[in-house]
Amino acid sequence: MVRKIPHATKPIVLLLGLLLTWLLLPAVFKSYSRAGFFEFQAPLWVTAAEFKNLGDSWALRAHSKKELYETGRDLARLNSAYELKLQEIDALRDELSRLERILVLPSLPRFQYRIARVVRRDQSSWWQQLVIQKGKLHGIPVGAAVVYSGGVVGRIREVHAYTSVVELATSPGFRMAAHFDNDERPVTYQGAVNLPFSSPRGKVMNVPPDVVVTASVPRRLTSSRLGGVFPDGLTIGWVNRLTTSPDGLFQSGQPYLDKNLLSLKEVAVLIPLGTGGTP
Amino acid sequence: MLFEVYKNFSPRLRVFYLIFALLFTALSVGLFYRQVILWPTYLEQEKKQNHRRILVPGPRGNIYDRKGRLLVGNRPRFSAVIYLSELRPEFRRKYIEVVRSARSTNRKINRNELQIEARSAVVQNYLNRINRILNRNDQVDRKEVERHFRQNLLLPKPLIKDLKLSEFALLTEQLPVNFPVQIHTESARYYPSGSRAAHTLGFVGSTFEVPEEGVPGNDLTTVTYKGKTGRSGLERQFDEHLQGTSGGEIWVVDPSGFQYELASQKLPVKGNDLSITIDIDLQQAAEEALGDNKGALVALEVKTGEVLVLASKPDFDLNNLSPYIPNEVYRSINERGAWLNRAIAGLYPPGSSFKVITATAGLQSGAIDLETIFECQGFLQVGNRHFPCNNHRDRGEISFSRSIMKSCNIYFQNAGLRTGVTQISRTARQFGLDQPTGIELPNETHRMIIPDPEYKAARQHGPWTAGDTANLSIGQGYLLVTPLQMAAFTASFARRETRTHPTLLHDPAADPRRIDHGGEKLNLPEELYNGIVEGMEMAVSGRDRGLLVGSGRMAHVPGIRIAGKTGTAQTQVKGEKLTMAWFICFAPIEDPKIAIATVVESTDPDYLYGGGSHAAPVAKKVLQAYFQNKNPSGNNLATR
Repeated sequence: MVRKIPHATKPIVLLLGLLLTWLLLPAVFKSYSRAGFFEFQAPLWVTAAEFKNLGDSWALRAHSKKELYETGRDLARLNSAYELKLQEIDALRDELSRLERILVLPSLPRFQYRIARVVRRDQSSWWQQLVIQKGKLHGIPVGAAVVYSGGVVGRIREVHAYTSVVELATSPGFRMAAHFDNDERPVTYQGAVNLPFSSPRGKVMNVPPDVVVTASVPRRLTSSRLGGVFPDGLTIGWVNRLTTSPDGLFQSGQPYLDKNLLSLKEVAVLIPLGTGGTP
Repeated sequence: MLFEVYKNFSPRLRVFYLIFALLFTALSVGLFYRQVILWPTYLEQEKKQNHRRILVPGPRGNIYDRKGRLLVGNRPRFSAVIYLSELRPEFRRKYIEVVRSARSTNRKINRNELQIEARSAVVQNYLNRINRILNRNDQVDRKEVERHFRQNLLLPKPLIKDLKLSEFALLTEQLPVNFPVQIHTESARYYPSGSRAAHTLGFVGSTFEVPEEGVPGNDLTTVTYKGKTGRSGLERQFDEHLQGTSGGEIWVVDPSGFQYELASQKLPVKGNDLSITIDIDLQQAAEEALGDNKGALVALEVKTGEVLVLASKPDFDLNNLSPYIPNEVYRSINERGAWLNRAIAGLYPPGSSFKVITATAGLQSGAIDLETIFECQGFLQVGNRHFPCNNHRDRGEISFSRSIMKSCNIYFQNAGLRTGVTQISRTARQFGLDQPTGIELPNETHRMIIPDPEYKAARQHGPWTAGDTANLSIGQGYLLVTPLQMAAFTASFARRETRTHPTLLHDPAADPRRIDHGGEKLNLPEELYNGIVEGMEMAVSGRDRGLLVGSGRMAHVPGIRIAGKTGTAQTQVKGEKLTMAWFICFAPIEDPKIAIATVVESTDPDYLYGGGSHAAPVAKKVLQAYFQNKNPSGNNLATR
């Protein structure tokens, strides 16, 4: 006679059974399920983000006409300034191309910018990531650089149909080549464990021993073109202290990153021209 | 009816109880002994069996010149390495794949061979990823992978050594953080001045004999990263001082030797720095002045004996010897004869620069005085030997000071014959020319020769003759000294002492008055001493109708009073005639600060080749650089 499983133990047995089944499932199925789950979640995140945007938009509508006029005026000025900058950039780009032709230099890597809204932020001590509202269908490739007006944001880690996951520069799994202002020698920047509500920080390593940094004169750490992913000169953070390793070969320090990094609403994905991003 | 009565207890059972009790006690004691008493021993054994130690040598200390400029440092050397111990699951999967493939193609299955194949394929797979990033096409060497797997599983296996900075940046950015391929950094010696002071600084070689002091786990099986040990020059002499303190890691490994847990770690610490007396600007001036010639130049600070310059040519770029010496570099240095540090190990007859010693010996013994005059007719016949004098054209009587100025051979040969070999040799020995100076460098030669009749007899070269004395008087014959010895002699003479202990260790706080060079005051009255110095000054700055006419005039630096003596000597080395141009000097005469000795070799000299034309200009460059440094405005040099 088959003994009945007592009522109290039924949930545990069911759980164990499910776990066992999951473990025994083929890897392809698991991977498909995970991707499917993500795609299922994505519209929810996007909808939530849209609601938030709607809320923000309604909040903005509460502003008086006078405030709107002033903001409009400021915006117009900003636009004019940007127009001017764009013309300068075009002129510089032409000059660069001319010099490259004369000196027979290989062209600098060029990028196409894809602006994407942030729909979700996932910030634990061990990883920090953003989900942005652009994915495979918008030509976003894995590994692409993500930037904002303040500098480096991170790198695309996963790409789904309509969304992508960005590993933030503060995440311990993020590493890139960097250099200090006015010093072309590459150093290593890596994210670090960032406690909740603390200022975002990372680690800078392999700094040559002759680089001098003081609290009164902090130095800007910028991206290096030598790494092949980021263009040169984007701000990563500021370093105000370096410690020499016991073997004297290198120094290391903790750059302070922009606080806005953790509350970004919009970022730009740099898609190298000639790859999947070619329009 | 008889009933059998069984007792509950029989006395015979006591025996069994006893035996049982004894056995149980023995077991308990045994268990206690093994579990409690032997516990530390077993713990130790277990630790030895499953712990491995990795020794990481500490970088060597830096070497700085007297002004704190870096002469030898460390540069990071980046390599892309792979941690084989992290690839075990992949090795297994690949092995199964390879075995299946072999079975399907009816290949003979040699398990060992297939394992090697699987491991190489996995490593090649990772290398291909690096190749894609770096745009290279490197291939793994199966034998190397296997050797590393068998012998150094705990250490990362280098895939690409000596990455360029751009390659380092590419891999840093494009390899995931947790990936079996990582960038490994080790230190290599770096010489910012290239070939400057190459012989003095020396170079290092690789060694597995890494100091273990302070690293726990002496009794554990240990694998070691290659360390560095000094092979020549200061790197060898101060190897212990410069050597870094080793660090170490102790890993827990499984029975197959794969590491899985870091038990403890100690970081390596850089070695002590060394501050030396060389002035790299003067060194550069000397080496540039020597140019492509073979030769040497030594400059000493007169009061302290500190070595300002120790140059030897030909030389080599030390950066080409780090991190290892390629065969072609070794051969090239060998063919050029550049390994020899001519300043401390080159033995040369000093030629006429030795006349200062002959003069000192003659004046000390009273054989000559400042008024002594000899006649020079351009040659001297001593026994059956004919000695020419081509150093000056004016014939007839020649005075003491003019003989130094013109470097007249006949005068000094006559003076030497009057003084005698014993006195000349004694004076040379008094100045320490018969022994090494004791400078802090390995390979200073001990084979210098101050000849005398005993020396000649001991080598069965026949009896000492007057011709030998005449030859010795002008610094030729059996006489052999090093440039460093001549520089030390010059410094001693400038201080009116008999010894100078040249040193390479810079101590800015040292009081020159308290430095004991180990000699004594020169036993020569001031008037006689000044007579020699006057002759030496005339050799550099003596004028006739406004023109410089001394033998060492090409060392003349306006505004500086220099006492100098030229020399030209001939010898044969391996059947090849060699002419040496010498120049020794000290300056300024009123308060001597720098003493220089330089020699320039030539195998094919023209008839004008000599100390005055080829060695004096070299010394002049160093004097100019020295006094320019002392007085950067250069006013003194320009006005006088």
